[in-house]
Amino acid sequence: MEAIACEIESGYAWSEQQRVGCAVGGVYTALAIERVLPIMHCGPGCEGNIDSVMARTNGGQNADTYFESVIPSTNFCEADVVFGGQERLRKLVDDSLRFYDADMFIIIDGCTAEIVGDDIEEVARGFEDARVPVLFASLPGFKGNNLWGHSQILSAIIDQYLPAQAGVINPKQVNVLGVVPFYDTFWAATLEKLENTLRELGLEPNIIYGRRHGLANLDKIPNAGFNLVLSPWVDIDIAQKLESKYGTPFLHYPAVPAGPTETAKFIRAVTEYAGLDRIKAEHYIREAEERYYYYVNRSIRWIFTCRVQPKEFYINSSAVQALSLTRFLVNDLGFIPRRIFINENVPEEHHGTIREYFKELELDDPESIEIIFTADGGLCDQYVKSEDTTFRKTVVLGTTWDELTAKVLRIPFVPVSAPYGDVIVGLKTYFGYDGGLALMTDIYNDAANKGMGTVN
Amino acid sequence: MAIDLRQTESETREQRLGSITGYDGTLEDLTSRGCAGCLKNKLRDFQTVSSCAHHHAINQLAGLDGTLVVDHAPIGCAGAQIGFSVAKNRLPMAPGDPPLEHAKVVSSGIDEADTIFGAIEKLKSTVRDAYRRHKPQEIYVTTSCTSAVIGEDVYSAVLELREELGIPVEIASGEGLRSKIWASGFDSYSHAVSKVRFGKPEKKNNTINYLGFAPSGRQFVDPLFERLGLEVICLTAGATREDFQRATMSVASWGQCSSQSNYICSVLEQEYGVRYLQTHLPYGGIGFERFFRDLGELTGKADIAEQVIAEEKAKYSEQIEALKSKLTGKRALVALGSGFAFEYTRVLGELGIDVVHTIAYHYDPVLDQNNIDSDLAVVADVKELKLNLDVSVNDAQEMETNLLMKRYNPDFLLSRGHEAAAWAYRQGIPAMDSEIGFVIMGYRGLVEFGTTLVELLGNTNFVRKFGARYRSPFTREYENLNPFSFYRKEEAM
Repeated sequence: MEAIACEIESGYAWSEQQRVGCAVGGVYTALAIERVLPIMHCGPGCEGNIDSVMARTNGGQNADTYFESVIPSTNFCEADVVFGGQERLRKLVDDSLRFYDADMFIIIDGCTAEIVGDDIEEVARGFEDARVPVLFASLPGFKGNNLWGHSQILSAIIDQYLPAQAGVINPKQVNVLGVVPFYDTFWAATLEKLENTLRELGLEPNIIYGRRHGLANLDKIPNAGFNLVLSPWVDIDIAQKLESKYGTPFLHYPAVPAGPTETAKFIRAVTEYAGLDRIKAEHYIREAEERYYYYVNRSIRWIFTCRVQPKEFYINSSAVQALSLTRFLVNDLGFIPRRIFINENVPEEHHGTIREYFKELELDDPESIEIIFTADGGLCDQYVKSEDTTFRKTVVLGTTWDELTAKVLRIPFVPVSAPYGDVIVGLKTYFGYDGGLALMTDIYNDAANKGMGTVN
Repeated sequence: MAIDLRQTESETREQRLGSITGYDGTLEDLTSRGCAGCLKNKLRDFQTVSSCAHHHAINQLAGLDGTLVVDHAPIGCAGAQIGFSVAKNRLPMAPGDPPLEHAKVVSSGIDEADTIFGAIEKLKSTVRDAYRRHKPQEIYVTTSCTSAVIGEDVYSAVLELREELGIPVEIASGEGLRSKIWASGFDSYSHAVSKVRFGKPEKKNNTINYLGFAPSGRQFVDPLFERLGLEVICLTAGATREDFQRATMSVASWGQCSSQSNYICSVLEQEYGVRYLQTHLPYGGIGFERFFRDLGELTGKADIAEQVIAEEKAKYSEQIEALKSKLTGKRALVALGSGFAFEYTRVLGELGIDVVHTIAYHYDPVLDQNNIDSDLAVVADVKELKLNLDVSVNDAQEMETNLLMKRYNPDFLLSRGHEAAAWAYRQGIPAMDSEIGFVIMGYRGLVEFGTTLVELLGNTNFVRKFGARYRSPFTREYENLNPFSFYRKEEAM
C-alpha cells in the first residue's frame, strides 16, 4: 500500500491496463454515424491498436456500414517520414470517393503524419467540390485519448459541415450528447431507450449515432430547442460550441440515469427544463417505479434466503459509469462505495465538479467517499489485490482487466465499461428502470456464481 | 541469411527476406521466384487499414512468463493488448500452473510536449516504477513510430536500466511504420527474447521445440512424440525462462508457421545446432506423414515413425472417408497468413475440396535458415505434390479480398483474424476462422477440421438469411473492378 501511495503522490504519467484508446479512437464516433467513413493518414496498425479497447474486446462490437477492415488508410511508412505522405493521401481520398458510397468522409491523421507536418486540411480543401463532404480532423495519439478524439470529430462536423446559421427552431427537438459511441459499451441500447423515454415525455429526440440516423440527423442539429448533455464532463465543450454558434441552450445532466431514484430525478429535470407536461411525467414515473419494484419483488425470496449480500463496491471505470452506477448502487440497492477510480484521464478542470456530483448520494457521509482520478487503469487493481477484504462483502465493477483479478480473488464482478470483455454486449444497457434491474441481476448472479451467495 | 544477434534490433522482413505484400498469379510462379530480390512487390495506391508490427512484438513478449513490457509510445499503441491478455487467460490450465494474471504492459504515455522535448527521462521513470510495482524477471522496452520519429535514444536508456535494476532489460523495436508486414513484429520479439533467454546449452536432450502462439491441443500430440522418445517444449504464451534454456538442448524445432516461428527456430539452429524442421509442417495427414518421417530419420527411429503413421492413418481413415464424401467438390477461398494459407490449401485438398484461390497476407521468398538447401514448406508442396492454383498476396486488404469473393463465389471462405469471415457472412457466404497449431496436426487434426467444415455447411440458414439483407455500401465502380486494380502503376519496391 505504501508503494501505491508513493505512486499517487509522484503524479506519474505512465499507465497500464489501457481503458482508453488514443485520439485515433475518435474514428469510432465517425463510424457510429451511418454512412460516414473516416480516411486514415496513419500507420497500418493504428486502427487495430484502438479497435480492441474501443470495439472488439469492448463487448464484441464492430462498425456497421463500413466494417473496420475497409477503412481507407495511407498506412504511413518510413518513406513518408522523409518525403511526406500528403500526395499519397490525396490519391487515397480520390480513390475513396470513387469506391465508397458514403455520405461523408472525414480525413484524420495520427502521430507520425502530424509530426512530419503533413497538412490534412489542405488535402481536404482540395475536395471542396466533391460529391459529398470531405472533412478533416487531426487525431495524433500523443495529444489525447479517444475522448479528445471524439471531441475533435464532433467539432470538425460542427465547424466544417453544419451551416453557419440555424434554420427554423423546433422547440421540441432535443439533440442528445454525452454518450460516446463504442467507448460506452452500452451506447446503442442506451440511446434507443433514451430516445423512447424522451419521446414519451413529449420531446422529439435527435440522436446522431446508430441505426437510421446518419446525416439527416446531423443536419437537424442547429434547429434544436435545446441540447441535452448526459455525462459529467464529456461533450460539455460540444454543447458550448453549439450554444455559441446557434444560441442553442443546453441542459447538463451529469449521469446516465440507472434505477428508479435517478431516472425519476432525470425525468423531472428534463420536464422542468423543457416545460413539459408534469402530470404526464409523474404518471410515467409512478407507473415505471411500480413495474420496477414488481420485478424486484419477484426475486426477493431468492436474494434474501440463505445468502450473504454483497454490500460494498469498488468501481474502476469511466467518469459517467462511475457516477451513474454509484448513484444507483447507493441510492437504490443500498450498497456502500469503497473506492471509486475514474480512469479516463479526466481534464483537471472537471475534477472539482465531478467530486461534487458524488456528494448527491443518500449516504450519511458522502464526503468521505474516496474518488481517485487517474490515467492508470492498473491502480485500482493494486488496491483490490492488497486491501484486506476478509470480513467485507465486496463487489468490483469495472472492465475486463478487473474481471481476472475478481476471478482469482473470487470477488463478484460486473463489467461496465471499456474494455468490457471478449464477449458480445447485445442490447444490454443499465439505463433507466430496466437498466437498474439488469445491473441488480448481474451483481447478484455473479455473487452467487462466485460462491458468495450461499450461507453454509 | 544469417541472423546477427549482436545487432540492437532485427531487420524487417522486407529488408531481410525480400518479403512482399502485393502479388497475383499462380502458386508455381510465385514459388519459382524464390531468391530474395527476384520477386517484385506490387505496391498499392489504394489501401485499407492493416496491422501493426509493434503490436505483435508486444503481445508475444507480454505473453511469456515473468515478463513486463514497457511501451515507449503514446497511450493508444498498447490499447490492443487486452485482447491477447484475455485470450492467454482462457488457455487450459494444467495442475501446478501459476495463478492467472494479466499481461503486464505499461505505456510511457508519450504526449505532445514529449514530442518536442524528448521523453527519455519519462521512459526511465516508467521502467523504474513498473519494476517496483510488478517485480518482473525481465523487462522489454518496445519502441513506437512516435519514439522513432522524434529520435529517442531508447537503447542507451535500456543499457542504463539493465545495469541499475540488475535484471535483463532489452529493447524490442518494431515500429509500425518500418514494415508493412506485421510478422516483422514477431521477429522483433524473437530477436529480443533470443538475446535475453538463450544461453550455452549444457548437453543434448531428447526434446523437440514447438514455436507458436499457444500450447492448446498439446494433449493430442504429446503421445505421438513420446513414441519417438521426444518431449515437446512449447515456446509459446506462458513459456518460462527455463523452457527457453532447455530449448537450446533439443534435437529439433518446428513452428506453427513460418511467420511467427522462423526467427527463433533459425536462431536455435544457427547458434546451438538445433535442427529447424521447416520444409514439412505436420498439418493434416500428408503434412504429418512427411514431418514424422523426417523426424524419424533425424532421431534414428524411422521404423517407429512408420508404425505411428500407419496407426494414425488406420485409426482415422473411416472418419476421413465419411468427411470426404460430404465435402468433395466444395469450392473454397482461402485468406490466411503466409504460412497457413498454403498449408490449409493442401489440407483442404486432402478432404476433396477445390481451393479456387488462396490469398496470403504476405509472402517470404526465403527464410532465415542456415540449411538453405531445405525448401520452404510451400515450395516443397509445389515440388512434391505439384500443388498449383491461382494465388494472390495482400496484407489483409479486404477491399481486394471482397472482390475475389465476388469473382469466385465460393461455397465457403476459410480465414483467420482479419475480418474476411465477417465480410463473407455479411454477403451470404459461409465462412470460418481456422484453428492453428497442434489442434490441426495429423489425421486427428484432419478429422477435427473436416468435421467443423461439415457442420459449417450442414445448416446455412443463418448466413443465407443474414446475407440476403446485405446492401453494398460501395459504388458500382468498385463492385465492377478487377480485384487487382489497386496496384500502383509503376510496380517497384
